[in-house]
Amino acid sequence: MPATSAPLPWALGVCAGLHAAGSRHVVYVPDNPLSHVLRVLRESYPDIRTTIATREEEAFGIAAGLYLGGKRPTVMLQSSGLGNSINALTSLFVPYQIPALILISMRGDEGEWNSAQVPMGRAVAPICDAIGLSHATATSPETTADTIALVGKTAFITRMAGVCLLPRRLTVPAPSVKVGA
Amino acid sequence: MTNKTLMTRLEATRQIATAFAGDPIVASLGHPAYDLFATGDRDTYFYTWGSMGLASSIGLGLAMAQPARRIVVLDGDGSLLMNLGSLATIGWVRPANLVVVVVDNRLYGTTGGQESATAHGADLDAAARAMGIAQTVTVTTPAELETAVVRVRAEQGPWVVVVKVDESVPAVKPPQDCVFIKQRFMAAIAVPEGGTLGGPA
Repeated sequence: MPATSAPLPWALGVCAGLHAAGSRHVVYVPDNPLSHVLRVLRESYPDIRTTIATREEEAFGIAAGLYLGGKRPTVMLQSSGLGNSINALTSLFVPYQIPALILISMRGDEGEWNSAQVPMGRAVAPICDAIGLSHATATSPETTADTIALVGKTAFITRMAGVCLLPRRLTVPAPSVKVGA
Repeated sequence: MTNKTLMTRLEATRQIATAFAGDPIVASLGHPAYDLFATGDRDTYFYTWGSMGLASSIGLGLAMAQPARRIVVLDGDGSLLMNLGSLATIGWVRPANLVVVVVDNRLYGTTGGQESATAHGADLDAAARAMGIAQTVTVTTPAELETAVVRVRAEQGPWVVVVKVDESVPAVKPPQDCVFIKQRFMAAIAVPEGGTLGGPA
């Protein structure tokens, strides 16, 4: 996607949603769809500070420190990175009741081409269930902002981290199949 | 280096706790946290009970959130080796108020004393410097540690201070209720959790 094209509606929704949840710090490990979110943040949200981490687990450590310092952190990662983060989530975020808005760009779901992404993609929701993280899914560009704002507000007011999944059907939409004549 | 010239980790931790009294301190899980508690519990201490390796990352986040406070991290060599990428991020963000103290006993003390890579040439001071952290120092005696503390208090960070120590077996453990540790810490640094305050219905 050339940088001169218009921002993607779903990416605008992600940024509006996390901003509405009161988050002004985004810690992330990038992936391709998230680059659209980062572009919107860079161009339109000067009040949001973004910090790149070398690894998703590290991103969660930084986010925990931000929360302990009084901020509302968002962590953005690809689904593969959830595997790098489980110990941080289960031994820091869950027992200390440290909230964060967690946005997971999905791989391995419908539309995937890389078989190495499929096992972790399939495991994301069961892992969240197993470790006690509630998760929602942003299903359309129109509802993304509201869904993320709700997940974030709920996380910060209940002091329990909340996940919103960004499926490939949202972030890398396939051309529509023509039905009928 | 001969072991008899080194402080124990507890002795070094006592000196660090005195030097940074009043500053928030994030303690890596296991023996570093146990020893920090042994020097005298404070509300400004955040003891981790898991997430090995992340103490310096938690410190980085705190330093970003609270730029007017000096944030101290009490890390171990084994813990920092688990998250060396943290040095790269700290070297990039360069928070002037972050001080990472590594008590380097060259072994995994909490798990039975297995040697770590710092017993065989790994140099965490040099690693920090290579990742863009300009203010680093390695100390081996109480006098050197005192000199380092004076510099840390006077000069902008981020700092990485490697204190070569010998393992000492802790006799006490910090509080074990994680939510208590968090809420007490946040109240102590004047950002009390909303859920602890009450307010309008």
